[in-house]
Amino acid sequence: MPAAYPLPSDLSPVTVANTASLLRIIALALISGAAIASRLFAVINFESIIHEFDPWFNYRATKVLASQGFYEFWNWFDPTAWYPLGRVVGGTIYPGLMATSGVIYNLLHALNLPVDIRNICVLLAPGFSALTAWATYMFTKEMKDESAGLLAAAFIGIVPGYISRSVAGSYDNEAIAIFLLMFTFFAWIKALKQGSAFWGTIAAVFYFYMVAAWGGYAFITNMIPLHALVLLLMGRFTGRLYVAYSSWYAIGTLSSMQVPFVGFQPVRTSEHMAALGVFGLLQIVAFGQLVRAHVSSKQFQELLFATVISLGLIGFFGIVGLTYKGWIAPWTGRFYSLWDTGYAKKYIPIIASVSEHQPTAWPSFFMDLHFLIFLFPAGVVMCFRTLRDEHIFVIIYAVVASYFAGVMVRLMLTLTPVVCVSAAVALSTLMDTYLDPAEPSVEDDKSESSTTPTGTTSTSRPATPASSKKAKKNKEKEKEKEASASAGGVLSELVSNVTSSAAKSATTAERGVFGMDTRLVVLLNSLGLLLFFVVHCTWVTSNAYSSPSVVLSSTSSDGGKNLIDDFREAYHWLRQNTAEDAVVMSWWDYGYQIAGMADRPTLVDNNTWNNTHIATVGKAMSSPEDIAYPILRKHDVSYVLIIFGGLIGYSGDDINKFLWMVRIAQGVWPDEIQEPNYFNRGEYRVDSEASPAMRDSLMYKMSYYRFAELFGGQQPVDRVRGQHVPIQGPTLDYLEEAYTTENWIVRIYEVKKDDVLGRDLKIANAFNQGKKRKRTKPMSRRKAIGA
Amino acid sequence: MARRWWTLPLFLVSALAPSFSLAGPAFENTAIVRTIELGGSLVHVSTTYAVKALEPGQTTYQIALSKAERAKTSWLEAKVKARLHLSSSARMSPGVAEYLLSISLPKALAVNGTLNLVLETMQTHATRPFPEQAAQNEPQLLKYETDLFTISPYTTLVQRTKIKSIAPNVISYTTPHDVDSFVRDGSVTRSGGTITYGPYHDIQTDTDFVAKHQQSVSVHYSFDYPVIEVETLHRTAEISHWGSNLNIEDKAHLHNAGPTLKGHFSRLEYQSQNFQRKQAPHILSDFTLHLPPGVTNAYFYDQNGNVSTSHLRTAPSVAKGSKAVQYSVLQLRPRYPVLGGWNYSYTIGFDTPLQDSVSYDAKDGVYMVGVPVMTPIPGTVVNDAEVKIILPEGATNVKFVSPFPEISNSMSTHISYLDTVGRPAVTFTYKNLTYKHTDNIYVSYQVPLSAHLKKVLSVSAAFFSLFAFAFMARRVNLNLHKK
Repeated sequence: MPAAYPLPSDLSPVTVANTASLLRIIALALISGAAIASRLFAVINFESIIHEFDPWFNYRATKVLASQGFYEFWNWFDPTAWYPLGRVVGGTIYPGLMATSGVIYNLLHALNLPVDIRNICVLLAPGFSALTAWATYMFTKEMKDESAGLLAAAFIGIVPGYISRSVAGSYDNEAIAIFLLMFTFFAWIKALKQGSAFWGTIAAVFYFYMVAAWGGYAFITNMIPLHALVLLLMGRFTGRLYVAYSSWYAIGTLSSMQVPFVGFQPVRTSEHMAALGVFGLLQIVAFGQLVRAHVSSKQFQELLFATVISLGLIGFFGIVGLTYKGWIAPWTGRFYSLWDTGYAKKYIPIIASVSEHQPTAWPSFFMDLHFLIFLFPAGVVMCFRTLRDEHIFVIIYAVVASYFAGVMVRLMLTLTPVVCVSAAVALSTLMDTYLDPAEPSVEDDKSESSTTPTGTTSTSRPATPASSKKAKKNKEKEKEKEASASAGGVLSELVSNVTSSAAKSATTAERGVFGMDTRLVVLLNSLGLLLFFVVHCTWVTSNAYSSPSVVLSSTSSDGGKNLIDDFREAYHWLRQNTAEDAVVMSWWDYGYQIAGMADRPTLVDNNTWNNTHIATVGKAMSSPEDIAYPILRKHDVSYVLIIFGGLIGYSGDDINKFLWMVRIAQGVWPDEIQEPNYFNRGEYRVDSEASPAMRDSLMYKMSYYRFAELFGGQQPVDRVRGQHVPIQGPTLDYLEEAYTTENWIVRIYEVKKDDVLGRDLKIANAFNQGKKRKRTKPMSRRKAIGA
Repeated sequence: MARRWWTLPLFLVSALAPSFSLAGPAFENTAIVRTIELGGSLVHVSTTYAVKALEPGQTTYQIALSKAERAKTSWLEAKVKARLHLSSSARMSPGVAEYLLSISLPKALAVNGTLNLVLETMQTHATRPFPEQAAQNEPQLLKYETDLFTISPYTTLVQRTKIKSIAPNVISYTTPHDVDSFVRDGSVTRSGGTITYGPYHDIQTDTDFVAKHQQSVSVHYSFDYPVIEVETLHRTAEISHWGSNLNIEDKAHLHNAGPTLKGHFSRLEYQSQNFQRKQAPHILSDFTLHLPPGVTNAYFYDQNGNVSTSHLRTAPSVAKGSKAVQYSVLQLRPRYPVLGGWNYSYTIGFDTPLQDSVSYDAKDGVYMVGVPVMTPIPGTVVNDAEVKIILPEGATNVKFVSPFPEISNSMSTHISYLDTVGRPAVTFTYKNLTYKHTDNIYVSYQVPLSAHLKKVLSVSAAFFSLFAFAFMARRVNLNLHKK
């Protein structure tokens, strides 16, 4: 048999197997190292700090858990959140993340390694990304073989789509959830393939962990039933499916109900009904199978068939009926917004106001996945070519996740693993084909066209560790009856020929690759793509995804780096120089940060559960001072905190978010707040042409208070909006400036107490400035008293 | 004797209420000059006693401090005045209640022999802002009060008190009353920032005199630097022999004790003040610390993480015992300017090479480490300080000596990375520390070789057992069915 290049012939199978195993371990260790290292950009460029918004709450909760123990944490009522309502934290969160950190913290401290809880929280996501790489390896191994597994592990290790949610410091539920997702799927596939209740239970345990860790567990709750249903419809019902699904569903559901935040949802809400329905269906089908195995009469079988169908229908209508009667909660708004992207904007502006709930832009697919997005469909096609049960899973996953990723930016995260798996399958098949040294023989094309290799060896090529690790004997491979490019089989065959003592007759394929040049062109091209992928991932990670957003950095003209640390400046000021029970009002984005860094009560925070409360804040911000003041006083607000980027051009400021405040307030008080009033002839302006409602609003006044004076008489410019604001700035009667940070990004205002003489603050202010009292208003009041 | 400045051992007399007459007319003060240099948190007072002996063979001279003075004084030192050289001198810890100090003279004075004694004291919390509130653009005015007459158990022929303010801008000062019997020229004169009370003649400060004539005088002056107090300071010094490293970490809570801010802070005003280089005196925007030479890995953070606005200029490390020519300079800028009444808590820390502060006596195997009590922020007082020195794991035979009496000390165990039994730690507490209290605490200890190896052995054992477990686990088959 001709070979394109020679292979060593004097290796024993044991040596090959051991070397391959060692190389796999080394490759996985290196992949873990790369996955962790590339997530440390944030720590190196900035510092070991918790990022963004939600992680600050998780961090705060973890600190409670670490310092006060699990029971205190479980029963923790936080009076400072949602002032004056408070929040039962233990019952309204997914505690998996904090519990994980708490366990690690206590374990390390038990070993006399007093690591700071902050560092554990910061480094948790990178650590779990290494585990994700391993879980993806195991999952892909089930799809194809170890070489594809290693490729998939390498992909998921550094792909930006996953890094975006798991850089060091991004201490959010997703940090551990993707590992749990992949491992649950792996365990499910394993359970399905082996019909093993043991693996089903493992899947259930990890499903429970996932439920405890992330609201996205509903994805698993629906993916696995969907897979089971499709298998059922394809006529692939087996005892293995029955065992795997039943053990997973029964144990998983019961354990998931132990999480207080989930409680009875698995039997009460529509999102979970698919799992229950499929469970029931499987019981019916299994029962049917059982009976059919024992009964031979044809009529009886037909009767049975009808019974099964009708039972299924009764079950289905039962669920529908219960939903209709209100026993089962209907779909939530968040769920509807997955089907209709315009739904949220119309009915629940809070959900729509979050940038990560927006539909995904096309470029971000390339940015997050790079060349994997091209290989992804190829990998799915590969799955069709073999189409075992687990391949159906990948296909369903690919279709469902693609849709969701297109609807919502943040769901890109769930698409990323399947893209990595499919792309790895595709690329590894390509590599297998072109690395195989077997040359097709043109003359002898009538020989056996397919091979059923039985060699027990594998080999690997250290130069491209991820590319050509061949599987050990794979039983499933025997099923492959395709004559085409199952070239991997040929390679194994060749290796077994070379290495095993039991020599076989040479076989050749009728199709294949001729010569080294063709191989090199394709392989070098793939290698180039892989290299570009690495460069792209590194670049995106360091530039786009590694900013803590609490600290901003700018580059000065000489290339030096400036840190803009206004947020922490303001929060630290609040923490040290205000009364401990001073209530701070801000837009909800900053609630968690204020609670975490300033340790002060807030009106609203990022846990947006009370729309009215948020709308109240929105109303206060968008109303004139004299309407806002009673709202502030009624809520005991001492300080109002706003973000203003006009001086240095920080575009994520409150004026740019202002329309959402207006919209959300309008949703509750449509008579008092109307969005069109804040536009001037359809334009959103802050300059002298700004609409009166805009100019009178508290937000506008607080943002531009004394801003013009900074320009010393010249025309002041708002660098974010690029508009000239009036030289005569707004004045404040009911609030006074308490603190403004170095770059004016955070401005804090103190709410004035009532005037000591009982006057209206506006009148008192006017009096202090020596203005004459306006006659009209007090006159009318006096008249009213007289009458 | 080559040295002209002698060290005076200083003894405290009994804690009983002192009676001046007991001292007897062994001495006479030909003159007392008290110079008070006004500051913010710290006021430096130096009093020169020109002493003439009336009886032969006297070796003990007594200095009296009033109760109020004693409460304010955190540090004092008495020296014999001549012209040259500095020398070490006796120091006294803050917080002790006596107020009559006996000073042993270096040699007995003959009759009519004279000697100039200088008593230097450092007063803390002696000034108060007046008015208590100041807006951001207003000056910072402080008030200082003291007794008019310097008391002494002996008759004083002439005494005067000079109060010096750094800025010439003195708002007001008290004119003493009922002093005509002691005064020949004028009871008080002012020249620029210096106010001189006296000279007053023939003062016999016995109990009657104090009751009748002693009065307090106050000076109202403007002060151009922020009045900063460090309310609590926790210093931790951790010695690592394996790392050959002495880590010092200070957790401080800083408070601006000047006039509290009236109204609110305006960034606009602050920026324009900075632009015109006329910053308000009561704003602390940055400060400088002098760290020992050879500092590495300095850090400055607070509850919310690293404070990026600091600069460190390191000086090369110098051999132990030799005098450092230069310090490492750490310039710190708090996250926000600290205005009157505001607080700022922070943590700084740094590593220094262990050989710069630890010496080893090979003969008896004793290590001796010197750890400075504090790194002073210029012009500040530390109200409560706690210094914890953590010795290497397994250190035995721990002895320590504080440069001045501490409020309390205690031993404890500190558990850190990879410890098995923990490290011994010594904790000292102090009150009202100033830049005069920066001497070393010395701790001596022994570390046996077995203690040095403890860490290595425990880590090796842990890894060994891990590998052994993996080795076993790979080879045990728990399957019920043979495949």
